[in-house]
Amino acid sequence: MSIVEELSRVLPKGILITGEENTRPFECDGLSVYRQKPLAVVLPENIDQIKQVLKICKTHKTPVVTRGAGTGLAGGAMPLSESIVLGLSKLSQVKHIDAKNQLAIVEPGVRNIAISEAVASYDLYYAPDPSSQIACSIGGNVAENSGGVHCLKYGLTVHNVEAVKILTIDGEELILSRSDQGLGLLTLMNGSEGLLGVIVEITVRLIKTPDLARVVMAGFGSVRDCANSVADIIKAGVIPAGLEMMDSFAIEAAEGFAQVGYPLDAQALLLCELDGTEEQVQAELDIVLKVLSGASSIKVSNSEQERLDLWKGRKSAFPAVGRLSPDYYCMDGTIPRRHLADMLEKINELSKKYQLRVANVFHAGDGNLHPLILYDANVEGELERTEEFGTEILKLSVDMGGSITGEHGVGVEKLDAMCHQFNSKELEIFHKIKAAFDPEALLNPGKAVPELHRCAELGAMHVHNGKLPHPELERF
Amino acid sequence: MLDRIAQLQEEVKNASSIHIDSQWLNYSGVTEYFSEELVISVKAGTVIADIQNTLAENNQTLPFYIRNENQSIGAAYAIGAQDLSDSVLGVKIIDGTGELLNFGGQVMKNVAGYDVSRMLVGSEGQLAIITQISFKVIPKSYIVSLEASYKTTERSVLRREIESRLKTVFDPKGIFN
Repeated sequence: MSIVEELSRVLPKGILITGEENTRPFECDGLSVYRQKPLAVVLPENIDQIKQVLKICKTHKTPVVTRGAGTGLAGGAMPLSESIVLGLSKLSQVKHIDAKNQLAIVEPGVRNIAISEAVASYDLYYAPDPSSQIACSIGGNVAENSGGVHCLKYGLTVHNVEAVKILTIDGEELILSRSDQGLGLLTLMNGSEGLLGVIVEITVRLIKTPDLARVVMAGFGSVRDCANSVADIIKAGVIPAGLEMMDSFAIEAAEGFAQVGYPLDAQALLLCELDGTEEQVQAELDIVLKVLSGASSIKVSNSEQERLDLWKGRKSAFPAVGRLSPDYYCMDGTIPRRHLADMLEKINELSKKYQLRVANVFHAGDGNLHPLILYDANVEGELERTEEFGTEILKLSVDMGGSITGEHGVGVEKLDAMCHQFNSKELEIFHKIKAAFDPEALLNPGKAVPELHRCAELGAMHVHNGKLPHPELERF
Repeated sequence: MLDRIAQLQEEVKNASSIHIDSQWLNYSGVTEYFSEELVISVKAGTVIADIQNTLAENNQTLPFYIRNENQSIGAAYAIGAQDLSDSVLGVKIIDGTGELLNFGGQVMKNVAGYDVSRMLVGSEGQLAIITQISFKVIPKSYIVSLEASYKTTERSVLRREIESRLKTVFDPKGIFN
C-alpha cells in the first residue's frame, strides 16, 4: 500500500490533502522563489493523529516537513519532493493561562499575536514580535527562534519559552523545560528548524504590559552619525525596548506607503522605543534626547496613537518596498553594532556593483540587518545577480564577526552561506546532533545544515587555521 | 612553544581519560570586552569576581544569579541552569577528538546552526572542554532581582538516551569523565 493510501485509510476525512491543485498552497513558504509539491499534506487536529502520521512516515521512510503558518522566509517549510507536509495550523488552542506565574500553555498553531490578545485582560503580553506576528504561529517561532523589534530588551523566542512538548520521529513524547537537569535540550529545540522533533505544545513566559511606552524618532544627515548614535545610547546605559534604523530609500518607501511624517530629507532614521513606568521612561528619555542632540530632526510620541503611527512606517517597510519593485529579496545577517556604518557603506558599494537598488531596514539594537534587494524575476539573470549580492552581504557579516542569519533561519536559502560560517568539523557535529534525535533523517532532511560535499563543491570551503579540512576530498 | 589551546588539544588527542577542572584547564582572563556592545568574552578559567570587576568599571554586570563569585566562569557554565544559558552568546570548545570548534559568537541574534553554545550549559564537563565563553551583559540598573533557578532531578528514559547519544557526538572515545 502506498503511503498516501495508508494515510487516507487511517486518518479521518478532511485531514489528508492530495492532488496537484489542493497541495499547491503548500508548495512554498514565505520564500516563494523556491517551490516544490509534496506527496501529500496532512492537517491533523490532535496529537494522536500526529503520532499516527509519524508512525506511517517512519514505516515508509518518507520525510516529514512540519509547517506552521508558512510565513518563514528561508524555505524551512518548503516541501521535499517525496515528503509529507505536516501542517499544524489546526492545533490552535490557548490551553491554559496562569496569570499569577505569567505563563500560558499553547498549541503550536496559535498565532503569535493571538497569545498576547488572549492574555491582554491580565495586563500581560508575549514579548517576541516578528513582523509577521499577525499570521505566524508560535510553533514556527520556536522552530526558528524568531526575533522581532523588541529583542534587545526582552530577548528572542528562546528567552521567552518555559517548556515545550515534542514528539520524536518515533512518536514518543518528550517534555523539555527550563528546570531540567542536564544538557540544554530546550534551548537546542529553539531554532532547530523542524529537524529534531515535532513541537506539539509550548509553555510561553508572559511579561507585564508596561505602564507606558514612547518612541523617539530621530533623523540624521549621515548614515554614520545615525549608526554611531545606536552605540552611544547603549553606552549611556539605556537599553531601549526597540532600536530600529532605516536608510533614506527605506524612509522614502515607508513614508510613501504609510504617510506618518517621516523626515524625507534625512539620510537615516532612528526609532527608539522606551518603556516601563512613567518615571523610568522619563529618565531614559532625558538621556536619549541628550545623546541624540546632534540629530537633524527629533520627534517624541506624545500619545499611544502617535507611538503606533511612528511604528507603522517601520512595520510596513517591507510591503512599502514591495510597491516599488516587482520582487525583493530580504537578507538577515547580524554584525556587532560597531560595524553598522561600515556595513551600510559596503552595501551601498555593492548596490552599485550589482546595479540593484537596496533599501536598508535594521534592527540596529541587535546588529540585525534586513537589507531588501530590489529586483525583477522576469528580467533574465536578475535573480541570480540578487543572490550573489546577498551572498556577499552574508560573507561580510561573518567576516565582521557576525552571523548569516539573526532570526529567519537557514532553511534551504542559506545552505551555501553556512559553509562560510562553519568549518566541516562543526557542520559534522550538527549532522550528528540531528542523528541523535532522528537517526534515519526523516524530519525535514537536507534543510538548515549543508552536506559537506556541497561546501567542498562550492569552493567556499571554510579555511580553518590555514588548513583545508578533508584535503583528501576531491574538489570541483 | 605551543599556546595553551594547542597544548590542550594535544593532551586530548593522547589521553584516555580527562577530568576537567579550572586548575587543570589553566586558562583564564578576559579576552574581549565591548561595553557598548553589551558583550564580554572570557577564557573559561576566569574567576567570576574578576569578570564582575571588569564589568563594574562600566556599571555593567553578568545578568544571572551567581552562587559563588570565587568560582571560575567555566565551572558555573558546566553546572549552569537556564538563567545563565540565557546570557550565553557563543563558546569555543575542544571536543573529545581534540578539535577546536566555535559555536555562536558575539552577536545578540544568531540562528545559524543548532544552538550548541547554550545546549552545553549544564554539560558538567562530560561532552567537551569549554575554553572560551561570550556573554551578553547588562547595565546594573536593569537588574531587578536575580534568583537561583531550581532544577528537577528526574530524567525520563528517553531523555537519558538522547543525552548519552549527544555525549557520543562530542566525545566519541568517552574520555571526559
